[in-house]
Amino acid sequence: MSSPNGLVCFTNCLLPLEDGSLVQKDLWIDERDGVILDAQKTFFIRKERPDRTIDLGGNILSPGFLDIQLNGAYNFDFSVYDGDDEAYRAGMKLVAEKIIETGVTSLVPTIITQERSLYPKLLDLLRPFSTPSSASLLGWHAEGPFLELAKRGAHVPSFLMSAPDGIKSFEAIYGAENLADVSEWLGSADPRTVGVRMITAAPELDGVMPAISELSKRGVVMAIGHSIATSNVATAAVQQGARLITHLFNAMPQLHHRDPSIIGLLGASPHLSNSFSPVTVSFPALPPYNPIAPPSGNASPTSAPTSPTHIGLMRTKSTNSTRSVKSIGGVKSEAFDDIETPPQTPILAASRAAAQGVNGSGTMTPLSLGHARKASRPELHLEKGMIADMDFERPFYGVIVDGIHSHPNSVRLAFSSYPDGCILITDAMKILDPHLKDGVHEWRDGKRFVKEGDKLYLEGTNTLAGSVVTLDKCVRNFSRFTGCSLGEAIKCATYNPAKCLGIEDRKGTLRPGADADLVVLDRQGNVVSTWVNGREVWAKNTSL
Amino acid sequence: MRLIIREDPADVGEYIATYICKRINDFEPTASRPFVLGLPTGSSPIPTYKKLIEFVKAGNLSFKHVVTFNMDEYVGLPRDHPESYHTFMFREFFSQVDIPPSQVNILDGNAEDLVAECNAYEERIKAHGGIELFLGGIGEDGHIAFNEPGSSLASRTRIKTLAYDTILANARFFNNDISAVPRMALTVGVATVLDAREVVVVVTGLRKSLALSKAIEEGVNHLVWSFVL
Repeated sequence: MSSPNGLVCFTNCLLPLEDGSLVQKDLWIDERDGVILDAQKTFFIRKERPDRTIDLGGNILSPGFLDIQLNGAYNFDFSVYDGDDEAYRAGMKLVAEKIIETGVTSLVPTIITQERSLYPKLLDLLRPFSTPSSASLLGWHAEGPFLELAKRGAHVPSFLMSAPDGIKSFEAIYGAENLADVSEWLGSADPRTVGVRMITAAPELDGVMPAISELSKRGVVMAIGHSIATSNVATAAVQQGARLITHLFNAMPQLHHRDPSIIGLLGASPHLSNSFSPVTVSFPALPPYNPIAPPSGNASPTSAPTSPTHIGLMRTKSTNSTRSVKSIGGVKSEAFDDIETPPQTPILAASRAAAQGVNGSGTMTPLSLGHARKASRPELHLEKGMIADMDFERPFYGVIVDGIHSHPNSVRLAFSSYPDGCILITDAMKILDPHLKDGVHEWRDGKRFVKEGDKLYLEGTNTLAGSVVTLDKCVRNFSRFTGCSLGEAIKCATYNPAKCLGIEDRKGTLRPGADADLVVLDRQGNVVSTWVNGREVWAKNTSL
Repeated sequence: MRLIIREDPADVGEYIATYICKRINDFEPTASRPFVLGLPTGSSPIPTYKKLIEFVKAGNLSFKHVVTFNMDEYVGLPRDHPESYHTFMFREFFSQVDIPPSQVNILDGNAEDLVAECNAYEERIKAHGGIELFLGGIGEDGHIAFNEPGSSLASRTRIKTLAYDTILANARFFNNDISAVPRMALTVGVATVLDAREVVVVVTGLRKSLALSKAIEEGVNHLVWSFVL
């Protein structure tokens, strides 16, 4: 059923606005162009009004959800490429077509650390993709390989590296064409195409900091993650252009009050001044990046740590181990590493590094940053409210709100300190499939896993096997965990991620001109129907 | 003149909306013979608009064959400004009833030639055979539309400089910033309203009581124009 003049009016609905409020208002869209309309202009200037009106019965009409970190779903893993382009593309299509049942209309496929030779191919395959009835895959999110060994989570240790040649090291891994300036990268694609590239890296690693600045200029969204950066290094990374913290709380030092590290960025104080505290830090070194090492044709890693106690600072020893890791994708959560890696603060890490005599390329001299120095307000002020006269924008942060990867208290703590930066992510693995029943399922290599709600265990263990939460459930969880309204929770899955990616004119919003990618939710936050480009592509009743 | 008293603004709105609904339905408007309705902005008519919207949604009334003329609009305020009368009318009424956009007339306060715009407005009203029913409200000083006290009873659609009182009263819609309130408006004249075959004026609230008493209890006075009804 389409509208004779192509215009559709949604009425009797609540619209979540960009400030987190929910207002009773109509929304007009053009289903032919697939865009949201300025209703008043359409009426007074175009002299048209919708021929079709859809009564949503008091439900919420939200922008479609945006997941900026999804590793795979419906048994397809974005990180796995076995040489068959068509099979990979079919997998992309499968995820794009099925994920809409969770209210997601845009996502950024995320690749966890892979054998280096795979990157140019994978990233090339992951150019923006969508079909008329599917979610949009916006591009790619490369999580690794420039990650801190001590906070590697499920990333394969032998694939991790630093970037001694800065941007050149990044280009050598990802492929220079994949890191080209954004207009060049999108090339001949439809000018309406929304394209996104993200890289999660550890800024304390040799050569990463200068690359952050260069890549940001090229339109790549740089994220801090799997890192033991000190407060100063983390702050510098943001000043260089990093816009996001990857899965906050996971794979980073816990909040230490004397050096709050990456998490502390959420509370970045206007008191910090450039004349205070020279930026000096030492940290464990990774083996130098070796550009002439031949890429291994075999995708499986050849070495791994011998035991958890050797993880972290003893890279040189651990790489000598001969025990092999069976799976690249990781049988445990990519983000959830504190089971094997003891909680570390940067202070602790630095002192342990010093005690063990680890130094060399890992010792960082005071950073000389050419721009965006912090400046605090010199005088006290008399106006009520926390006014921060600081030339420093706090980064966005992704949180996995499955109730497992972050305690509800932690989620609320983060949201309270910086609500506008909060982004809900699933970080889900290929097992994600809302239709999967609880019970024992086949995994791989003869292993099996047990699914219990949103929890996944390896059979016979209590090792968590990753996230399988859907984004619509994250929204509901978030509202419960923080006590915020559904409208504010929706904002964290729509407008905030879009703003982080710089695409808030097209996605994650109901403003005129944005794509008519919509999700209808009941007042408990359950997905009722999903719309892409102005057309209904999924509805609860007819899907099963 | 008939004076009809109701308990509260909602009752007033219901009475007037019911009356307008009956007038339109009795008129049996068609595409070639539409019902021509004059409309105001402001807080007084909102309960009436709400009721009219209800009638349309319930299927008891349609604006398919209704042509509307609004009373006034600020000069120089962008059409999309939250306080423009275009925005008000769209938000409070037109977006929620089935009126075709081509049948809606509002003065263009951003027209290059404001005088020509006003004259053309009068012509358009005439071309539709005049206004069947003009709904209006009054200000505390008895003004209707932007016809401030002292406006000629023979006035037509024209540019008016706003009285300081009106600017003060409107400042609350512009963050209490008096300098942000437009200084001029286009408005239908007193004679334009009086030419209508019927005028219905909504008067609600204590602050309007003095103006109302002047209108119904005292003599003809061009300062309190409502008397002329």
